Amino acid sequence: MPDIQALVASLSSQDTAARVEAAEALCRAGADAAPAAVALVRACGDDDDQVREWAVAALEELGPPPAAAIADLIPLAGDGHPLVAYWATTLLGRSGVAAAAATATLAASLDAGRDPAVAERSAWALGKIGPGAVAAKPALERAAAASAPRLARLAKEALAAIGG
Amino acid sequence: MADTRDVAAPVSTRCARSLSVRLAALCLIAAAPRVAVAQAGPPAGPAAKPAGAILIASFNIQVFGESKMAKQQVVEVLTRVVRQFDIVAIQEVRAKSDEIIPAFVRAVNADGSRYHYVIGPRQGRTVSKEQYAFVYDTTRIEVDPSSVGVVPDPQNKLHRPPMRARFRTRITPAEMAFTFWLVDIHTDPDEVPQELEALTGVFQAMQTARPDEDDVILLGDLNAGPPEFKSFQRIPGVAWAVAGTTTNTRRSKTYDNLVFTRPATSEYLGGWGVLDLQATFGLPLEHALEVSDHNPVWGAFYPAEVRGAGLPPMAGAAPPVLR
Repeated sequence: MPDIQALVASLSSQDTAARVEAAEALCRAGADAAPAAVALVRACGDDDDQVREWAVAALEELGPPPAAAIADLIPLAGDGHPLVAYWATTLLGRSGVAAAAATATLAASLDAGRDPAVAERSAWALGKIGPGAVAAKPALERAAAASAPRLARLAKEALAAIGG
Repeated sequence: MADTRDVAAPVSTRCARSLSVRLAALCLIAAAPRVAVAQAGPPAGPAAKPAGAILIASFNIQVFGESKMAKQQVVEVLTRVVRQFDIVAIQEVRAKSDEIIPAFVRAVNADGSRYHYVIGPRQGRTVSKEQYAFVYDTTRIEVDPSSVGVVPDPQNKLHRPPMRARFRTRITPAEMAFTFWLVDIHTDPDEVPQELEALTGVFQAMQTARPDEDDVILLGDLNAGPPEFKSFQRIPGVAWAVAGTTTNTRRSKTYDNLVFTRPATSEYLGGWGVLDLQATFGLPLEHALEVSDHNPVWGAFYPAEVRGAGLPPMAGAAPPVLR
């Protein structure tokens, strides 16, 4: 089994090749890379596209992040880099009810001006949180009336999942 | 002369029991592709392929980009995989460069093979994009250039709308040749049920895309196995090649498949398999994962139209109109 913490440290290397190698190794680690979830999300904002692509590939297969990672993922869901925000949001959605503390951040991502893919994934994530995301209902209702069909559909599905 | 040896046939090679005698015989011809591993010397010439079947494969080559192409041993495995098949539907070409697939096909052809490719546009909702590609053996298969495209997704239900292309075999007279749509897909792992539902509609749209084509083969990384194919069950006669085994390199999930309908695609011979990278190439898991986290999956098809012989030839046919 690879040394996950060593690979996480390498993701911050000044050497691009070392970062690519670390991201690829974490991808090959599969679910064992779960402790690197937050570092992989940050790596989605790397300047090098191969680092980003390997980080994305690792995150696609990672499943839900460790519960301890949720607190660090919440601010990343509001990150200015759309790919970082998208993947932080995705991991929060995979966490389901355990990510209820992310409701305000995710609701803010629904509002106009945010990256469309991040807004859509935020609606999806709020639906995964379910009733614990009740505070997001006003933002979801505005999104459900949006002209973008995918965002509107996901917001409606989230409202149905939240209920009440 | 190259010193070669045969290694294990792909794991999970199966032939259905319910075939007619004629098709059963062809199924034997279409038995598992064999992989010759060169030990030394110049590359061997292209391997002979069965006359009674074409082998259609799907392969998610995880993050197929510059860093993977820079690994000679990985490219070597990938080229040997592709040469076993007549067509390979590839998922996950991820690169800024447009040279990945051209360079890869040159590597495939280094032994004298004559493969070519068609590739789709970069797709994805974020800045991380993927491309689909079909790599095919031009000595046995041809593509209708006017048929190549992305299936429209006006409701934005699919993260990466599938790439479709219509092919025809070249190893039988044109008027008898098996023609078929291939629809290449990589679903979003976080929206699998919704995307499978959308793909059910895609499949049905492709069935009526043109009146002279009843064969639709949807293939790719579905991020789901047969127990999750509930929406596909609404397609009359739906069938799939891979069942009861795993398709990922870790041998833990069934994600990849070929989906079609019967009796429309009666050309399906019942032969299918998962080319297990570890077993086939004798690779430890860690090295197999450098190639991909997915194994290729494949199905064998009769190279002539079993029903409806006399379909109009592809040349000059009207372009498909999707609804």
